[in-house]
Amino acid sequence: MEIEVTQTGGVTLVVPKGDLDMGTADQMKRTLTELIEKGQSKLVMDLTGVAYVDSSGLGALVAAMKQARAVGGNLKLCGLQEDVRSIFEMTRLIKVMAVHSDRQEAVASW
Amino acid sequence: MRAETLVITSESRELARVRAWLGEQLARRGLDSHAQSALQVAVGELTTNSIKHAYDGRAGEPIHISVESREDSVVIQVEDFGKPFDPSRYRHPDLDEMNESGVGLYIVKRLADELTYDLARERGTRWTLVKYQAGTGPRSA
Repeated sequence: MEIEVTQTGGVTLVVPKGDLDMGTADQMKRTLTELIEKGQSKLVMDLTGVAYVDSSGLGALVAAMKQARAVGGNLKLCGLQEDVRSIFEMTRLIKVMAVHSDRQEAVASW
Repeated sequence: MRAETLVITSESRELARVRAWLGEQLARRGLDSHAQSALQVAVGELTTNSIKHAYDGRAGEPIHISVESREDSVVIQVEDFGKPFDPSRYRHPDLDEMNESGVGLYIVKRLADELTYDLARERGTRWTLVKYQAGTGPRSA
């Protein structure tokens, strides 16, 4: 999975491309953990390029969100495709995670 | 349309191959892209369970995935030959918690119209998932 990381203001933008499954969840978790440990805990993840998320992928995002919140940050999401969004709705993560419609809105929310 | 079977080995990189193969099978059987996507997730979760739990992460072990069309439904089976599923260990997840794990089977149950497992075999588990065509099946009543 390709994961692009850029800074915009004080916010770190994470843009993965590919499927987020058991095979890529560890890579995602490692990337987010490293960012948070470096002090970059205000995170926005744009999921526009992710067509598939399973429970392993959700687990990686939840773990990073908890870690970021524990140090005063958060992991905010945007750009969820319809089928991906339905998995977040089904598991009710849509209610506990900060989900925005697009990147601009998510970054501005900080 | 006759049943088709894909045999993979128990490695996470095989999951992409399962999704591609299943998508093609379901498209040929007339399922729309949302139904394809839902079943790709469900079968992905069952396959992941086989890799993680039935084979404890051991690579190179067989997993069989088959798709069969019936008059009103599509039937998908995921079969491994490892440690059998232990239903007594399944806990319905508390969705008010932010779960980092334990939601895979819950997702499968939500996406399938019917989900059963067969443990009456020498080794492993055979999962059978049924998805009815829109407007048919028990949930349409």
